[in-house]
Amino acid sequence: MSNFTFVSQPVLGGFKQECKGVSIIEQTKLGIVSVACPNDGDAALAASIQKAFGCSLPKVSGVEVSDSGTMRWLGLQPQQWFVLFEHSAEQGAPLATIKDELGDTAYCTDQSDSWVSLAVSGPLAITALERICPIDLHLSVFPVGTVARTTMEHLGVIITRTGDEEFLMMSATSSADSFLHAITLSVKNITA
Amino acid sequence: MSQTNRIDGGLVNRNQSYSFKFNNETMHGYGGDTLASALIANGVKLVGRSFKYHRPRGIMSAGAEEANAMVQLRTGAYTEPNTRATVAELFDGLEAKSQNHRGPLGFDVMAANDFLSPFLSAGFYYKTFMWPKALWEKFYEPVIRASAGLGSLSGENDPDQYDKGFLHCDLLIIGAGPSGLAAALTAGRAGARVILADEDFIMGGRLNSETHTVDNMPGSTWAETATAELYQMENVRMMTRTTVYGAYDHGIFGALERCTDHLFDGSGKPRQILWRIYSKQSLLCAGSTERSIAFGNNDRPGIMMAGAVRSYVNRYGVTPGKRVSVFTNNDDGWRTAIDLKAKGIDVTAVIDTRSIPAPYNVPNAATIMGCRVIDTVGRKGIHTIMLSSGQTMKTDCLAVSGGWSPNVHLTCHQRGRPTWNEKQACFVPGGDLPVGMSVAGAANGDMTLQSALTAGHNGASSILSSLGMSDAGSKIASASEESAKVSAFWHVTESKSRAWVDLQNDVTTKDIGQSFREGFKSVEHLKRYTTLGMATDQGKTANVLGLAIMAECSGKTIEQTGTTIFRPPYTPIPMGALAGRARGKDFRPFRLTPSHKFAEEKNAAFVETGMWLRGQWYPIAGETHWRESCDREVRATRESVGVCDVTTLGKIDIQGRDAAAFLDRVYANTFGTLAVGKVRYGLMLREDGIVMDDGTTARMGEHHFVMTTTTANAVSVFRHMEFCRQCLWPNMDVHLISATEQWAQYAVAGPNSRKTLQNLVDKEFDISNEAFPFMACGEVTVAGGIPARLFRISFSGELAYEIAVPTRYGDSMIRAIMQAGEEYNIVPYGTEALGVMRIEKGHAAGNELCGTTTAANLGLGMMVSKKKDCIGNVLSQREGLNPEKPLQLVGFKPVDTSISLSAGAHFVTKGAEATMANDQGWMTSVAYSPILNHSIGLGLIEDGKNRMGEIVTAANPLKQSSVDVEIVSAHFVDPDGDRLRV
Amino acid sequence: MIINHPLLGPRDAAEFVYLGDASLINRPDASSDDAAQAFYEYLYLRDNPAGEHKELWYHEQGDRSWLVVTRNTLTHEISKVEIARDVARAAGGSA
Repeated sequence: MSNFTFVSQPVLGGFKQECKGVSIIEQTKLGIVSVACPNDGDAALAASIQKAFGCSLPKVSGVEVSDSGTMRWLGLQPQQWFVLFEHSAEQGAPLATIKDELGDTAYCTDQSDSWVSLAVSGPLAITALERICPIDLHLSVFPVGTVARTTMEHLGVIITRTGDEEFLMMSATSSADSFLHAITLSVKNITA
Repeated sequence: MSQTNRIDGGLVNRNQSYSFKFNNETMHGYGGDTLASALIANGVKLVGRSFKYHRPRGIMSAGAEEANAMVQLRTGAYTEPNTRATVAELFDGLEAKSQNHRGPLGFDVMAANDFLSPFLSAGFYYKTFMWPKALWEKFYEPVIRASAGLGSLSGENDPDQYDKGFLHCDLLIIGAGPSGLAAALTAGRAGARVILADEDFIMGGRLNSETHTVDNMPGSTWAETATAELYQMENVRMMTRTTVYGAYDHGIFGALERCTDHLFDGSGKPRQILWRIYSKQSLLCAGSTERSIAFGNNDRPGIMMAGAVRSYVNRYGVTPGKRVSVFTNNDDGWRTAIDLKAKGIDVTAVIDTRSIPAPYNVPNAATIMGCRVIDTVGRKGIHTIMLSSGQTMKTDCLAVSGGWSPNVHLTCHQRGRPTWNEKQACFVPGGDLPVGMSVAGAANGDMTLQSALTAGHNGASSILSSLGMSDAGSKIASASEESAKVSAFWHVTESKSRAWVDLQNDVTTKDIGQSFREGFKSVEHLKRYTTLGMATDQGKTANVLGLAIMAECSGKTIEQTGTTIFRPPYTPIPMGALAGRARGKDFRPFRLTPSHKFAEEKNAAFVETGMWLRGQWYPIAGETHWRESCDREVRATRESVGVCDVTTLGKIDIQGRDAAAFLDRVYANTFGTLAVGKVRYGLMLREDGIVMDDGTTARMGEHHFVMTTTTANAVSVFRHMEFCRQCLWPNMDVHLISATEQWAQYAVAGPNSRKTLQNLVDKEFDISNEAFPFMACGEVTVAGGIPARLFRISFSGELAYEIAVPTRYGDSMIRAIMQAGEEYNIVPYGTEALGVMRIEKGHAAGNELCGTTTAANLGLGMMVSKKKDCIGNVLSQREGLNPEKPLQLVGFKPVDTSISLSAGAHFVTKGAEATMANDQGWMTSVAYSPILNHSIGLGLIEDGKNRMGEIVTAANPLKQSSVDVEIVSAHFVDPDGDRLRV
Repeated sequence: MIINHPLLGPRDAAEFVYLGDASLINRPDASSDDAAQAFYEYLYLRDNPAGEHKELWYHEQGDRSWLVVTRNTLTHEISKVEIARDVARAAGGSA
């Protein structure tokens, strides 16, 4: 029996809304793995990450990008990071990409399907996000390479600054429609 | 109507002519007008009726403090009651109506109340409508509500959109008058992140209403220049039409921005935005409010605050009268006479309560010192005043100034108390200000323009240094000189007629005297008894006057008398703005299961469980009642196979060297002994010994577990486990992350569930009963390589599995399972069938895990390990939770099986009265069992296990029902669990 | 309110969940002879000070840290914020 059709579906069907002020683009090829550091294993983990990915571990709220530039480590909480990298379904389980390299130096959990990820960018991005984001996004406070986990419209959101006017925003898969609505309505409310 | 009272000058745009309607009469005004100034331009004096006595009232102020001129703005669903005409910006096509009258405004039949006033004094309602009690709800209240009141709601949904938002700054400056602008310039030029907010639609505050000069420019020109400079600064956010209405903890402020209220059509943009402003420091530059003097019939249309008259004349280019008189106790009131003269308007007299030489010379006007206005004449518009000197004068507008009260409101929102300044006869901010707040300008008692400009600059400078910044050498602007001498004067004792203190609530000096005589002497009691200072204006013009008169009554000083507490909001906030976007289907976010689209296609009915929308049942053609669908789903599952989306259960990934030891502590039963590749039911207690949650936990590896929680407790269990990990056992090596969203998980249940899954699971994985027995778990692949997790667990009591695939495949998976089970007539089943099957099986769920039950109550007492310490172990053993005859979970079946049971019914001995004393427990869950063909129930009853076969009565007095039921085993179906293990 | 998170800086209290008295960190020894009494006191007997109070807050919509916040119950002034795990370790938290 192999006549089943399995389609890897982007949470929001590959949502894309591009305009001058703010663009919203769903990131559909993102592998996300959480990496936790065993107690007293900080040095070993740092070494294995440096060796495997050429990257040092950021502190909480910090972001480090790997040597190759393809992998982004987000410091989410003490002893825990999310690593984000380009990954498509054909490449197999995203977990292996990280776990196979780090071995016993980390506890890894696949989070690729847990999050819907939206790239929100443009000169009016901050103006739109002001309507839902309680975090101060001013460049002096939240510079490129910063991540914060907060709540917007009752939804947990991980927001990362990827450029002066660019953010990567992640929220739970199941409430993706509400999350998208929160952002698109914010854009509509400032541009209508 | 023509603009008979329009005069030259002002800041209105005469090239922008607007047409508007007041009480259906078409009038015209200009851009830059408020509704009030436009009404004055058109010669309208009478604009509303008072709250209680239905007295004719006119416009009394030119700002947010307005107590009289409240109108019903706009029409239909857009209508908004109690809008202050003095702050409503005029736009083309505006429609407004006066409020609180029956019949036309000029002939209000309810004005009879005015003649009944001797009977309607303070406390009238409290004393009169005491009995008969039955009449209150049916008669008194509706009549009072209809006759005393303000505007009315449309009764329709508010069609406008609202939004909220968050702003951050180094310095929030509240008010853009002279001190606010000066502060903003100093802080803005220094590079600080500044927000400057003002409720008006142009910045400048009193500068726009006065004829002072600043830096040798007219004040309004200086304000315009300063504003233009500030708009150019990237670090300054300029917010007009924005009222900072509340000061909250730690530098957080609430502000309401009115975005489209000044437009005929908002074009779909949010009408208002409720901002939460986070500030490091704040500078309150809220200015001051002029107060009145109480004298006989001081509420007539045409009697107005002296400063308001200047606003109308200087800013709006309209005059409230042609022959104006001024009644004042201070120098500032005289400026009204001077400004009027400068515009060529006749000033009849300036009456000053003080026996001092006249501070100014006003040509062609009588200046009468040491004199008082004792009464006025002119029901719909003042025409005559009577003076204490015996003189009578013709005048069509009386400008009154009782001195200025600093707007200290926001300084008091953290329970700060203002202090009385005897010299200036006003309350000034006390020492106990909200965190990070300082005050400058008139709000702080700096009553001259120069002192306000200086205080604004200095305030900003010291804030800059506290932020570690330095001012960029901004100079203090210099202003023309003025005098602000005042001597306190509150009410004219010679007046025999009623003298109003609070115009909005119709509170007179006599009411205050009566309140005192009847023992309501503290200001807080005075407020409640007389309603002084209540309603939409919150007594901005009345409070100080009222408490000064109370001080006189009691022989105390004003300082001893004190003020009532100021609370947010400073001005009214529409409910729509507080709701923001959270209306209708946007009230809160919703969560969709991976099979949502499939369920929609199958016409599923959905139920909200928390934020989740879950398929409740899946009707097929011909089914008209949910029970038909539910019964069919149960039968199909028990007879062959069914599938249910159980993704909503919480899933927590637990890893670490101490993961097993950790689980032994958070669960009442043991997990250290669980073999890899096995699942175990776990019972979690609270520390007080009550059951917190239950679920299954699978051991995926030596140091790796996957826990499931109930849908409802997913978040709180995770929080609890983080508490245990971080606070109780901080050295354990254990790490948690939620994986609820990661996996689309389906329960496949029924005798043909294995065969169904064997069609789907790749052949290299042996899931036969031998290789994959009850409570086994493992990683498999499906459909040629899709990774999946398989658990052989059952909630239904049937041979069953739960299978999980990455969420991205969730939609494909439900369809694949349906395809794989097609030959067995697989059905999707919803939460109703799920519930029926678990009740048939006697499994506890939310109704039983209700926060009052112990493991023993649920028949799970044996699971609480006595060998180890775990959360709840010690206190679960205390006496109070272990009575001789504990409540025990058992099954119930109606003696007459045609009767339906109802959950919530309480058990009493058969035939006994349904009283608390006879109560033995209650029915927790009921269902109709399509297998047994009758209603069944689970419930908690004293000593239930030892009472099998006993008949008791299940009484539900709320539904007037009383049903005899038999106590039976909770396991209605397959009590020995044979089906699980085949 | 704003809680000045030791790792993240000032964050709105809306991101946090409140639990209660920080003495909840000091869970009694279940194997001691007076365990029943000790657990009763641990769970039910709390001070209710008008003034400084050490209490537990959980940064649920943030970094998932439990914090010990010293807050004045009269003024809401927050004078100290610590990572609860550090406090628990310093107090000799078991295992």
